[in-house]
This record gives sequence, structure tokens and C-alpha cells, in this order.
Amino acid sequence: LHQHCCKIFTFAYYLLLLLMHVNVQSKKHCKSIVVNEVNFVRKCISAESNQDDPWGKLICTNFKVSFIPQEAPPKQKSQLSHLLLGEHDIPLTCLEQVVTVNDTKGKKKVLGSNQKLKFNPTELILYCKDLRIIRFCFDEAGPESARKVCLAIAHYSHPADLQLLFGFEYQGRRYHECKGDYIVGGMQTPIFDRPSDWDREIKRTSASEWRVCSINESYAISPSLPEYIVVPVSLADQDLKQYSLYFTDRRIPLWCWNHPNGSALVRMACIVDPLHQRKIDQRIFTAITKSHTQRSEVIRSDLDKCLPNIQDIQSAFVKVRQICVLDPFEESEERWLSSIDNSRWLEYVRAFLKHSAEIVYYLEGKNVSVILQEEEDRDLNCVVSSLVQLMLDPHYRSLIGFQSLVQKEWVMAGHRFLDRCNHLKKNYKEESPLFMLFLDCVWQMMNQYPAAFEFTEAYLTVLSDSMWIPLFSTFLFSSPKQRAQHLMDFAKNKAIPQGEDQVVYFPPVWEWSQQFSIKDQTLFNNPMYVGKGAACVQNGEVKTFRRTKKTYSSTLRGTATLMRNGLKEGEDTLTRRGSLVSELKSEFSAVKDESPSERFFRDWFSRPADQQGLLIPLSMPSHVALWKLFFLRWVPEACIPRGGPITAYHKLSQLVDEIEILQSQLRQYKGPSPGNTPLPSPSGPPSDQRRMYFKASYPDDPATTPDFFTSSFPFTPVGNLCRRSVYGTPISKFLNGARIWLSTETLANDTV
Amino acid sequence: MEKSGSIDSLGSKRSSSRQPSVDSLSSTSTSRSDRSAQAKPPSAMSSDSVSTSAEFSPELRVKPKASAKQVLRESDKEEPQLLPNENVQDMAQDITYFCPFTGALRGTVIVTNYRLFFKCMDREPAFVLDLPLGVVSRVEKIGSASSRGDVSYGLVCKDMRNLRFAHKQLEDTLRKSIFEVLMKFAFPVSNGLQIFAFEYGQVFPENGWKVYDAVSEYKRQGIPNESWRITKVNDHYELCDTYPSTLAVPVNIPDEELKRVAAFRAKGRIPVLSWIHPESQATVTRCSQPMVGVNGKRSKEDEKYLQSIMDANAQSHKLFIFDARPSVNAAANKMKGGGYESEDAYQNAELVFLDIHNIHVMRESLRKLKDVVYPNIEDSHWLSNLESTHWLEHIKLILAGALRIADKVESGKTSVVVHCSDGWDRTAQLTSLSMLMLDSYYRTIRGFEVLLEKEWLSFGHRFQLRIGHGDKNHTDADRSPVFIQFIDCVWQLTRQFPAAFEFNEYFLVTILDHLYSCLFGTFLCNSEQQRLKEEIPKRTVSLWSYINSQLEEFTNPLYVNYSNHVLFPVVSLRHLELWVGYYIRWNPRMRPQEPVHQRYKELLAKRAELQKRVDELQREVTNRSASSSSERAGSPTRSITPVQTFV
Repeated sequence: LHQHCCKIFTFAYYLLLLLMHVNVQSKKHCKSIVVNEVNFVRKCISAESNQDDPWGKLICTNFKVSFIPQEAPPKQKSQLSHLLLGEHDIPLTCLEQVVTVNDTKGKKKVLGSNQKLKFNPTELILYCKDLRIIRFCFDEAGPESARKVCLAIAHYSHPADLQLLFGFEYQGRRYHECKGDYIVGGMQTPIFDRPSDWDREIKRTSASEWRVCSINESYAISPSLPEYIVVPVSLADQDLKQYSLYFTDRRIPLWCWNHPNGSALVRMACIVDPLHQRKIDQRIFTAITKSHTQRSEVIRSDLDKCLPNIQDIQSAFVKVRQICVLDPFEESEERWLSSIDNSRWLEYVRAFLKHSAEIVYYLEGKNVSVILQEEEDRDLNCVVSSLVQLMLDPHYRSLIGFQSLVQKEWVMAGHRFLDRCNHLKKNYKEESPLFMLFLDCVWQMMNQYPAAFEFTEAYLTVLSDSMWIPLFSTFLFSSPKQRAQHLMDFAKNKAIPQGEDQVVYFPPVWEWSQQFSIKDQTLFNNPMYVGKGAACVQNGEVKTFRRTKKTYSSTLRGTATLMRNGLKEGEDTLTRRGSLVSELKSEFSAVKDESPSERFFRDWFSRPADQQGLLIPLSMPSHVALWKLFFLRWVPEACIPRGGPITAYHKLSQLVDEIEILQSQLRQYKGPSPGNTPLPSPSGPPSDQRRMYFKASYPDDPATTPDFFTSSFPFTPVGNLCRRSVYGTPISKFLNGARIWLSTETLANDTV
Repeated sequence: MEKSGSIDSLGSKRSSSRQPSVDSLSSTSTSRSDRSAQAKPPSAMSSDSVSTSAEFSPELRVKPKASAKQVLRESDKEEPQLLPNENVQDMAQDITYFCPFTGALRGTVIVTNYRLFFKCMDREPAFVLDLPLGVVSRVEKIGSASSRGDVSYGLVCKDMRNLRFAHKQLEDTLRKSIFEVLMKFAFPVSNGLQIFAFEYGQVFPENGWKVYDAVSEYKRQGIPNESWRITKVNDHYELCDTYPSTLAVPVNIPDEELKRVAAFRAKGRIPVLSWIHPESQATVTRCSQPMVGVNGKRSKEDEKYLQSIMDANAQSHKLFIFDARPSVNAAANKMKGGGYESEDAYQNAELVFLDIHNIHVMRESLRKLKDVVYPNIEDSHWLSNLESTHWLEHIKLILAGALRIADKVESGKTSVVVHCSDGWDRTAQLTSLSMLMLDSYYRTIRGFEVLLEKEWLSFGHRFQLRIGHGDKNHTDADRSPVFIQFIDCVWQLTRQFPAAFEFNEYFLVTILDHLYSCLFGTFLCNSEQQRLKEEIPKRTVSLWSYINSQLEEFTNPLYVNYSNHVLFPVVSLRHLELWVGYYIRWNPRMRPQEPVHQRYKELLAKRAELQKRVDELQREVTNRSASSSSERAGSPTRSITPVQTFV
């Protein structure tokens, strides 16, 4: 009974704490159950001294690790504040590794689920999937409670079952408690779970020779395909059913997108049965050719053969993460460039961009349809197909368009988010940051064409962080069927009326009001955007994305390079130069005959880019950069005080806000007004409708740069990256000298 | 060539800025033909290959109205548009230019006393290479590159390119190859000719020679004051012939004593004031190394002098001496009579070595960088190759040194003395960069010009020797990219603080282009004394005349002049980048993408247009309400107050 009372008491206390938070309104559904807690914990903020470290209570709930400081910290001005997570909170799904340390005994242990800990930890280090490293010290805390909290955190961050993820608890409560509160308010993103969404895409891209097919209704054919797919009109349902037998996971070819010139982008899995390969291939090819308005040929690009695989990508990410956040800052400085190089992350980013650009060349320059083929059609195909569409179709560079692209090419196409994110921490071999790689590629394009995207890099970063918050239907499942089943069970368990839309009872991440205030969401808006709804559409007219066609050289040849190795052969045949003679000779010899695609690109690059047209990223090695906001935002040493891109963003936003105020004034003047009454003096739009985060300034604005202007904006490194590099043992040495982020083996073999 | 006609004025401005070379050249000519009043951008750069560096070649940035008229068939003309007093020296047809990006091109070469002009009509659009001879570092005959007996010439340029031409063996053996003619005019100094800047007589609305006046600059800083005075002791460059005539020194040191201090400092370059903090009075002073020598010689006067520099700042009882060199190099200098201050001799002074390497190391590093970036970048190991040039590492050390100086002065309120060996290379880099961080005035266009005039030109950075204007001796060990490095550092700062500088990237590129072009007198000679002797201000045009006559081209629209904004950049390779817009601009695959600045200007135009319409409507309403009802008189209609903007 005593124990029971205690629990009730803790729960009540926790509720009280929650209520003390600023955003009581939205946080109320986020009540999670306190599992364990410990008082008098010190959160390490700075590596040099612990003078400024806050003291407080460390709590483990079934949703997150929470730290409640004794003294309320000074309110951070103009930082992104999450509605469901406090400044010191970490969702359990965001934990990569839980490490306990006993400084005096020189012991450490990486904790998994249901493990024992034979020493009292003096420290807890949490390595997070969003690259934070958070450290707590227990010098003044009760040793036993500290130990229990650590074990609880380790245990609850390894959920045995998907259903135990907090989203299933949270969304049920949210649905019942605040029905209608923010039901699909801004939810305009098509989910592609119904024929109408596909129909709209077919119409939008004038893909008249393609149709919506419903043979996979109730996942009758394939569990990893959506219920509705788009196929050539010449293929009957019966044929498709028959063909499906020969494909991996019965994944028949999926239409992705149509070029105005008639060529189509199609993705497909491999054919398992070699005996039937030729026959099936031929029929598919024929059908796609028939669907081309000009009956152009079809080209296949086998991504497995020309792009890094998911393990390569995972290991590159682990390395680049290691270099960016784990290695001691000063020591890694000297070899920074080559370390980044050796991680191969940027090389892979470049490979995907380059390959996607090659596909663009076929669709746009050669006017042929392209089939992207991959063993399962659920990983590399997602990256390439979405990048190709981003380059070709400006619609996908708007916020809603981008979200629908992710929905279409990732969520509905059956990308295994659950496995790739490794939310259940079960199979590390399946873990791979493909979606992250995609976001990095998008950032590279955004970096090169800053006016072409409606959204900002802050948006991309926040989207990547959302993968680690288990509350949205987007990143929790590995296939459409799995999603449907879990959501159906969920609806049943939570007494949600039949026929209710899953978007309402278990919303996707695109319902941003779940996480951020309207004001904070304006950080997603790019003031420079040239496009629909932008402040400065040229003469109010958005041009079509079709570029004037040009006849490309008639000496086309050797188009097969793409098939053979995907990446163009490098120019590494260049000899090193010594004397002037050889120097100049080698330059001469470097001039090779241009391939048709090279010519296509050169031609394109020689003309002004239309932000609302085709955009090809520069993929010279010198033009692919490290995404600093994502990789370095938590690194205090890398944070530029009163500088960074935010200073430009600030000025641009203010100007656009002014423009929008003027536009709104104009509208009010022009609006209907009774003939003889004077017009009211117009004002700007109401503040909740302003699109810009920074409002137009007035002469009495402060004349100094605000403190929160840093290169990490809208994030802050304070307390989010605490390496033990300056004093104490460097953490990398701590971990058996392992130079990589903690490997799975460390987890398995670690016993003290 | 395809024209995009459907774009409105804003759009077409943008697109015209990327028009390939033909248009651009022709537009240059247009502006020249109606040159009378407006400043005309001289073509200091070539537009190599069709699509290159549109953003940064002056020709391409001429107003669109000009290009619109002249697009048509200016390219049919075979000749470049000549500058005042520019004369064609030779012309040859059937010359092959081996473009490293697009292959061999056959065309006509014209050599003038200012430029090399190559035009190939086979291409659409016509291919034009327009190269000021000043950028040529060496010309070499390469013998026959092919069996057909062609003669081949290689041009190595100071601006990160190599060009190669060839022509048929001349039958008339007495006739000189056009490249022999070129050699004569590319190296006028070696051939007893005059540098073109002395002939170029363009008149600009602004006079750049008036930008800098030492006395007014010291006055701006509040000098003279109770601790610092302005001395005329060097009026005739007798104290130090590489220093300016106007110097600021501590009040309590009489001129006579300055001479004794000069005897103890290399080349007589005594510690003098570069900058003073307006509040704390902490100062940045510069000098050359003390002549300590192997025996550890001391100078009472020098010690007293440094003490009075320290005393001039009441806030601190310490003085920091920043020796830019690695300590080993500083010690090695003792063999040659130089060295560094011993902390025993200079009480309360702390000596810090900043580990910046000498001019030879820097020259070698840039040479390696050129290998890595020109003509093509290898597909693999880009960052490792970049790392092996150490270029960014040197940039980092220089910025790190400047940051330490700025931090000592700003946060530590402590005065600093900066020197290297002679105090005209690394010292100039460090003082000018720290001043940029400390004083927002230097981050304006005029302020930056003043900074260059003061810390580089007047204090005797040896531009003539370091660049080798018109001199054929390309192996001269005195040549070094010290100034390029400085501009690179400035660019790094603009990357970290995109709103803190009034000037844009194009401004920096233009400065570097005219560093070599020999069109303006600004970077000629080695010292103020020489410039005076050569009557440079009288006989040449200042680069600032050209720049200040069309400031809009060089203005960063995102500039915000925050008060008391001291820049503390993050000096880490995580943020330092290779300046691709300069070093890789010749590569046609490297096209400047939609620049943020361009977009900002479009938005400004949009705002102006809307503001006008709103104002009109407002007036209309006011009129109407005035006539219909008198009660509501003077109802304030607050239109939005425009923020401070810089167009």
C-alpha cells in the first residue's frame, strides 16, 4: 500500500511540475508516467568548470528523460521551443546509447534493457540520435536512486514492442481529451492513402496514360506497397497480379512522376525469378513505352550497382558524427578536412545528387522514361526518386509539395522507417540514416539555390529531429500494411469510432501544431522563396517548370555509362605536374570529349537558372559542403556568436514582412468599401497570419545584434554537448579506445 | 543564344547578369560609347569560356539596358573595345587556344599595351578571352607540341590560371611571334616600358586618391589625445623610408628619442599606433623586430618606449607583444641581428608567438592550391587534397592571431604590439584583420579602403615586390600572396558575419583583380615615399575612383550597422572554407548560383513599388476624407516606416 501511495504521490507531483511549464495547454496530453527519479543531480553544461551547472531532479518516464532544474533557468528568448518537450527533455526513442560511469573506480558500462549494474554510477552520459551528448553527475545524489534511474532509462529506451512507444498512449489521450482542438488544421499534405490523392498527381503532371490501380486494396498483393498505386493504362489488373509473383515482396513497378514531355519516372523492385526476368522486363518496358506520349524508349538504372549500400551509408554517418560531435574539438582540428573526407559522407551525398542529376538528364534531356531499380525498392529508390522530382518539379519545393513527396516516395512507398531508425534497438544491422542522407541532399540543393525552396534549413533540421519523437505516424512503421494494422488495433483499443480518419486520431508529423506554436512554425518559411505564395512572384505569375526545349547535339553516343557504373568516370587520370611543359600538356589532355550528359549539364549551367524550373545541383566536390546547422549546432566551440546565416535571414525576413504588410494594406484599400465613407486606415495583417519570424523593424529597435543570433540558431549548444575532453578522461578513450561511436559489440560484450 | 524574354524587369536584370560573354563584352562597349558622364567599368578580367564567373566579371555587371541594345552582333566585330590610350600592338589569326574546359578553339589574338584579346567565332556564342597583361606571370615557348610543327606558348597567370596557345611555325623567320610581342608588353618594367596605369587616363566622378588622409583618420580615432601625438619626424622619410610621413606615437617620447628607437628596430620601423579603442584606450601598435642579435643587445630607449605605450592605457598594467612568427624563426633571426623582445628586458610585457609562416611558405602553399583546383578538381579526395596544400591552415593561423589581438584589446583592455621580422607582411595582415574585427568603420566600403591605404599601402607592404608588376622575373623569391591571403581572411569573416560588412564578395574579387591588372595606380610601388616620388596620385587613377563611382555594384544589401559590434569569428576549419568564388571561378562548371544579394535587391524593388502604390492610395483616401468630412481631420495613417536599407 505504501508503495502504491508513493507512486500516486510521484505522479501527482510530476503533474504539478508539468503544469508549471509554460505551455501547459499543449503539454497536458503529454502526461507520461514517471518510472523513476533522483534528486540533487547536476547537469553538466560546460566542460571547463561546473560552477554554472544547474542542479535538479532527473526523471525517467515512459516517454522521456527529463531534468527539472531547481531554479527556473532564465527564459531563452526567441529560441525554438517545443510544445511537448522541455529544454532538458530527451524522448526515450532519441537515445542512442546510455552509458554509466563510475569515476572513482574507473568503471563504465553501456546499459541495455534489463541489465544489472554492479557499481553505483557517478555519471550518466546519454548519447542521442539527434547528436546531442548529455551528461549528468550524481556527486550529491543518493547512489541507489541514481543507479535505479540509470537502469530505468536504459530499460525504457529499449521497448520490447512497438505498441509500447509513447505515441500509442499519447495520441489516444489527445484524441479523446481535445477532440477537435487542432484537428487537421493546417493539414493539407496529401497522405496518398486514397485514390483521389493519386488522381490529383496524375492530373497535375498530365500523366494521361497512367491510371490508379486498386489491386493492392487491403494489401492483397504486397504488404509494403500502398493500397493504391499508379500503373500504365495498358496493363490490366489481371496482368499485374500475375507479374507481381515475380517481384521481390511482390512489388510491381510504381509510377512516381511524369515529365511534361511525356517521360515517366518509375520505381521497381528486382525480379526474383531469373527464368522470367526477360519476359517480365519486356512486358513492363513495353507498357511504359506505350504510356509515353511519344512512345520513347525506357531506360533502367540499377541503383544497387552504382550507389553505396545502406551499410556504407550507416558507417559513413557514424564516422562523420564521431568527427563532428565526439572527437575533442581542438585535437580533431588539424586533420578536420581529411577526416571529413575519409568518413565518405559527403562523397555519398554527392553520389546521390550526381546520380539523380543523371536521371534528370534522361527524363528531361533525352525525353525517355526511367525505371529506378533496387533489390527491394524501399531504400535507395526513395532517395533518388525524391531527389529527381525535387530537381524537376518546383511543386515539390513548396512546403506542402515537399511533405507530399516524402509521403509518396518514402512513407507510402514502404521505406522501413521502423527498422532504419531502429526505434526498438533490436537489429543494428538494419539501421541506416537514409532519410537523413536525403535531407542532407535537399540541404545541398537549398544551399546552392537559396530562393528555390519555400522552407528553410531549420525546417529540415526539425524534421530530422522529429524522427526521434515517437508520436507521429510518419516514422513509426516499416510498411503501409504495418501502419494500417497498428492503427486499426489502436483505434479499437482506444475506442475511436469506426470510420474516423487516421490522420485525425494518429496524425503524421506534418501536423506541425503538435510540436510548435504558430509563431515558431514561421521559422520554416524562407523569405527568399520565389514561387507560389511568395512575397515576390514575378508579375504574379509562376512559370511552368518546362524549360524551352533545345536540340542537343546530334552526336549522342555512349549513353550506357549510366548503366555501367552510375558515377561518371573521374578525372583522376590527370598526371601530377612538375614542369611547365607537363603542366600545360596535362591540362590539354584533360580535355576529353564531352559525353552527351556532360554537354547537357554544361549547357544548362551556362544559362540563368529559373528558380521555378529545372534545378540541377553543382556536384563538383568543392560544391558539396558539410551541413553545419545539422552537424555542428550542438558544438559550443563551433558556435559563431552574433553571426551565422541567421543574421542574413533576419534582415531578409524583416524586408519580406514589410512587403507583406504593404500587400495587406493594398488589399484593404482595394477591398469593398461603401462609396462615400472614408476607408479605414489600413493596418498590417493580424500577427498570427504573418509569415515571417522576424517582423519589420522600426527605428526604435535595438541597435545591437541580439544575443541569440548565433550560427546554431534556432538551437542552442548550451548543455547539449558535453564531452569529457577538457578534464577527466576523453570519452573516446573511456570506451575501450573505440574510435567509432559505440558499436553494437560494445553493447553486447560489455560487462563489468 | 537563347534569350529569356518573358521575364520582367527584375528577372531580366538577374538573367542579364549571367549572359555569356558576347553580351557582356558588348555591354562594356556600350557604356564606353556613352562614357561621357558615367563611370565605365574597365575590363580587368577576362570572361573565360562562355559561362564563367558571370557574377564577378565587371563586364557582366553592366546595366541591362546597355546589353539589350547591343546584344546584336557586337560579336561580329573582331576587336576589343579599347580603353583610353590603349593601342593595338599586334594581331594574329589562326591561333589555337587550348581551353582546358571546352577543348581547342581557333581564333584571332590581339595584343594591346594593356591586354590580350582572343576571339573564336566558331562557337555560338562566340568565345572571348580578355586578359589584362598584368596578370601574366610568365610566358614560355613550349616547342612543338605536335608533329605539324606548331609553336606553342604557355601563359602562367597570377590569378590561378594557365593558358596555352599555339600557332603555325612562321614562315617569315624575321617576323616575331605575337607572343614575343605580348611578352614585351606583359613585362613593361623589364623592357623599359611604362606600366599601363600611367597611360590610362579615365576620368571618374569620384577621386579615389582623396579617400585616405592620415591626419583625418587619426582624428577619427581621437588622436591626438592626452597620451598620443602626431609626429612629423618622418616627414621626409628620414626616420624610416618605408613608413608613412604621418605617425602617431606616445606623447612623452620626443622626436629625438624616436630616432634612437629607430636604430634598434629593423629598417627603422618603430612601434607606432594603428588603432586605439575609443573607450578603454587600449591600442594596437605595429613595428618591426628589435635588433637583439645573438648577443642579446638591449635598448633603453626602446624599453622606455614600449613602457610608455603601456602607460598610455590606464586600464591595464600589462603589454602584449605578438610576434607573428613561429618562435623558431624568430630565434633564427638573431643570427641576422634581429630577434625578439626578451621578457626580462621588457617588464610587464608578455611575448606571444603566433606561428604564422613566412612569405616563401605561403607562396608554396598557393602554388599547391593552384595544382589542386586548376583546371579541374579531382573527383575523389577533394578535402584531403585541399588539406595537403595547408592553405586553409595558414588562413586559420592568421585569423587566429588577429582574433587573439582583438580579444586582448577588447576583452582584456590591454594594449598590444604586433611585429614580425620587417613588419610589412604578417604584421599588416594581423593589424588590419584585428582592426576589422574591432572597428565597424573598417567594415564599410570607404572604411575598408582607408584600412588598406593605411595599414598596407602607407605602412609599406611591398606590393611591387610581392606581386612583381610588369616584371618578367617570375622566380623572384620576394613574390608572395600575402595580400591575397589577407583578402581571403576578410572573405572568411564575411561568410561568418553576412550582415556585418557593407561590401560584397564582388568588391573583394575586384580588388584582387586590379591588384594584378596594372590599370590603376593603387597597388604600384613599395612605399609611400616611392609613390610620392613616382607621382602616382598625379599620374595614375586610383582603384577607389572606379569603385566609389559605382558603389551599388559593391554593396552588400544585407548590411546592418549594429553599434559596438566586435566580431569574434570562430577560427576553426569547421567554418573556414575555400573561397571557390575566387579560386575556382575559371571553371565553367562552377557557376555562381542565385545569389542571396540579388534576391534581396529584387525584394527591395518590390517593396518600393508597393510603398508607392500604398502611398498613392493613402493620398487618395486622405483627399476624399478631407472633402467629405472635416471632423476626421488629421487621423494619423501610419504607414510602415521603412527600415534602414542600403541599395
